Amino acid sequence: MDILKDLAEIAGSENVISDQAVLDSYSSDLSLVRGGAPEAAVRPGTTEEVSKIVKWANANNIPLIPVSSPVHLYGSTVPKQGGVVVDMRRFDEIFSIDKTNRCVRFGAGVSWKKLTDTLAAEGMRVVMPLAPRGDRSVLTDHLEREVITNTVYDYGEPVQSMEVVFPDGSIFRTGSASAPKFPYAYAKGANPAGPGLDFYRLLQGAQGTMGIVTWMSLKIQSIPLIDKIKFAPFDDLDYVEKFLFRIMPRRIGQEFVILNNVDFAAILADTREEFEELRKTLPKYTLAFIISGLIRRPEEKIAYEEHFLSDVIRHEYPDIRLTDGMPGFPQAADKLKQILRNPWPAEKTYWKAVPAGNYQDLFFIARPERVPEFIDIVRDVASKNGYPFESIGIYEQPIEHNRACQLEFTFMYDGSADGADAEIYDIYYKMFKALHAAGAYFTRPYGDMGGELYQKAASYKAALMKVKNLFDPNNIMNPGNVCF
Amino acid sequence: MSINKYAYEAIKAVVGEANITDDPADCMGYRSGPGGYESGTGYERVMTRLPGAICMPRTTKDVQEIVKICARYDLAFVPYSTGFYGPRSHPHLDDELIIDMKRMRDFEIDAEHFFITVQPGVVYSQIQQECFEHGAYVVVGGGGAQTSAVANLLNDGWSPLSFRVGLPQRRILGLEMVMPDGEIVKFGSLADSDDPFWGEGIGPDLRGILRGYTGLLGCLGICTKMAIKTLPFQPVVPEMQGVSPDTSLKLPEKRVKWINFTMPSLKSIEDAHIMLGNAEVGGAITKVPTFWRAIAKASCKEEFWDLWLKETEESVANFFLVRVMIIGFTSEEQFDYDYNVLTDIITELGGKERRTKPSDESWFKNADSAGMWLMTGSYVSVDYVMDSFDQAFKQGPNYRDLKDKYTPPLMPDCKDLGWFQSCEMGHLGYYEYLIYWDQREDTNGMDQFYVDSAKMNVRNGAYPALLSSHQPLYLTGPAYGPNYHNWILGLKKIFDPKWLSHPPLPLAHDEFCRRAAWMHDIADWPVPDEFPYPDSLKKKMAAAHGDI
Repeated sequence: MDILKDLAEIAGSENVISDQAVLDSYSSDLSLVRGGAPEAAVRPGTTEEVSKIVKWANANNIPLIPVSSPVHLYGSTVPKQGGVVVDMRRFDEIFSIDKTNRCVRFGAGVSWKKLTDTLAAEGMRVVMPLAPRGDRSVLTDHLEREVITNTVYDYGEPVQSMEVVFPDGSIFRTGSASAPKFPYAYAKGANPAGPGLDFYRLLQGAQGTMGIVTWMSLKIQSIPLIDKIKFAPFDDLDYVEKFLFRIMPRRIGQEFVILNNVDFAAILADTREEFEELRKTLPKYTLAFIISGLIRRPEEKIAYEEHFLSDVIRHEYPDIRLTDGMPGFPQAADKLKQILRNPWPAEKTYWKAVPAGNYQDLFFIARPERVPEFIDIVRDVASKNGYPFESIGIYEQPIEHNRACQLEFTFMYDGSADGADAEIYDIYYKMFKALHAAGAYFTRPYGDMGGELYQKAASYKAALMKVKNLFDPNNIMNPGNVCF
Repeated sequence: MSINKYAYEAIKAVVGEANITDDPADCMGYRSGPGGYESGTGYERVMTRLPGAICMPRTTKDVQEIVKICARYDLAFVPYSTGFYGPRSHPHLDDELIIDMKRMRDFEIDAEHFFITVQPGVVYSQIQQECFEHGAYVVVGGGGAQTSAVANLLNDGWSPLSFRVGLPQRRILGLEMVMPDGEIVKFGSLADSDDPFWGEGIGPDLRGILRGYTGLLGCLGICTKMAIKTLPFQPVVPEMQGVSPDTSLKLPEKRVKWINFTMPSLKSIEDAHIMLGNAEVGGAITKVPTFWRAIAKASCKEEFWDLWLKETEESVANFFLVRVMIIGFTSEEQFDYDYNVLTDIITELGGKERRTKPSDESWFKNADSAGMWLMTGSYVSVDYVMDSFDQAFKQGPNYRDLKDKYTPPLMPDCKDLGWFQSCEMGHLGYYEYLIYWDQREDTNGMDQFYVDSAKMNVRNGAYPALLSSHQPLYLTGPAYGPNYHNWILGLKKIFDPKWLSHPPLPLAHDEFCRRAAWMHDIADWPVPDEFPYPDSLKKKMAAAHGDI
């Protein structure tokens, strides 16, 4: 078997990569997960080519590692058992923007920058995670279940339909895009559910182990006519959690975030020096959120939200100091508003890398009132291991009217120092274990986490293995990830 | 008729003598028919059987032990909560066991985190009242407030309130399933702890196999516990008023209001749906079938017909009414803001506000399903389609025209266009078409209409809901996905190799089409010579329904 020749016959020789330096670049990413280089990489240009590649891989028992972005964060695209990288960057077309039904359909390689710029030209936007990298694949971030900052829409999930090449090579459309003749059918792909099963649920969180998704459709919204950002600096997390329980179910605001001084400084700073200065002077924690006036009567909408907030603060939460700007940080309001509504520019150092060059994230889902307890656990583990707690970034993302949240700890470090990666991995994993033991719910099992998580969730793992075996009996799709 | 006596004794040991019966009178009580939904159809006559026994477990452990006994004795079973889905919820073989979940009524509310945790015997009426008292609400599906919330969320789960709340699968959080082999699988955060607050799984989300657009009616196991997301409402508890059965909810002034608008045209109603979503205001918007207005006004069948027979095709075709709800989620000021935006939209479209009762009869704690068939004795929602507005608006004329071919036996409805509404803040257009018939008449046309409409949707590329439960899998399967049926049948094989959980679903409608002579002409799609049943099920099918 000649892998390069076979792949060239399917996708064209110009789309097959054998250059060792390029292949080596796939063997690591921004995480601490390390693997081997793939035997080759291929950049298909059509769904049919992807299907042929998958069938070829099945016939030859060759692992496939799907990637869509030029930058990878969690180690799931690092080959664990060799194989061929299927790089989807040529799927970079935005197929349709439907303003009546408010949805957009786009390929796996479409970046956040391309999508948001294109939508903005139409007066539309997508809800997004906190400052996604401009060059990241939008589709990948939604498959990874990145948590969005906008909490006001009850439906929560913006994902609609997808096209996937399943591990047997069959081409399948999920949701209402499954209708015959799509995209020329009555159905426009707006409904994510079905057909028969909620296939999209099996594809999200799968780290590429359940198939290769070629395109996706997402809900879009009109760009608000007025946006006002609000800040509330604070020390007492318990008090602010109660305040959020009070206001967020009332459908106030759009994007909400809570950042500690480390993360907030990293977001605002352009240089390490600036970061250090800001970190010292910013409040311990800051709640920031945007209220918006939409396309009709925008001033009235802003007014009722502000009246509600001022009433609640005056009568129930007098210690909340809500302001339109950050006292002492005149640029903060404009800068954070921009950041909450746009991807991070690809040409600019990513905010988490500003302080020290490298970083590692640890995040999970929790009940908001338990956040202080989880922070104490991290402080305790850091203290026992001589790690400076005050250097850890903390970001709380309220979800679904604050009935839950994602809590993220970021370890910012200089990876060029000898043994730095190993040291960070050690502390990261200890914290993961301590948090998990205390009830933190890790839904995205990257790297070595899976072993620990699935040991506790044995029945779920057993059922998952059965499903995986149905879809991918040869385990060719990104083996070594999740629990497969 | 009864189940194996050793199996019966073993199950009796699990649930106690008081909670199992094979008394023919009790079994007759579980026959399909009295519910109205799909009553008197050919499907009901051909496919349903009386149960051989009924048991009523109390705990998940009871259910697990019962299912294991069924596996041991090769005893087919049907999970049954409130039985709304007519013949689809009943045994399709002789001597099946109904596992009636009504005793499983544990209920816990977590008001701060907006979810409840219930067993399958808990009905929406209880849930909605508790939610109201904690500033929350849920969508009560068209099946009514007397239906099991677990069953409803596994199979359907929407209403006009879905304008805000969204699709039902999003509201399923942690849950517990007894799989057909008796293994308990915990989903979401329950897989990792005792806290069911979060629905996504670790890695791929196995809620994907619970249901699709609609559900599988219990053919992949039994859900014994589910955490259900509720949504923040407004703080004033609506009061019940009236005397049963003429009750309604008195809506709090300046907080919740239904408003009816007379519109100049159908197009203006469609535009109102789109514009309301784009403006992101409101709690519901819907255009219902015209004859529902007569149902709502009538207190009996005769009164309905008195009212309805006054209508003509022309009067129905020129009746343009859209019904909108606004809710003061934030404050009375927000309620006013929504009202102002709504008024702007309606004015731009040439509509006029009508005087509307300050009450809700239908959607918060509805019991519509109990009165929906009063005019003919039988009805069914032949399909729901939920996708874009484009699709929703096109479906009305299509269903209307197809229905002509089958009227009678279907009830003449003056060519009404059916029901549409908006879901997920205007990101989804919803269409539903209901048909009515008198089950004393020849109902073959009703059975044929069901399948003919499925074929119409395949031709048009429309996306219907009832793909796996109410339509022939070998008709829709190759068309949608394509080949979604292969994955369902694959899952059935790995999780229920003996096909004991509600057989022969998901192939029940396929069976009906090949066993009912009046379906043979219309059933012109390819089907395999043999369905992929284990030998044991082939024998049971032959015993119950005869050889093919």
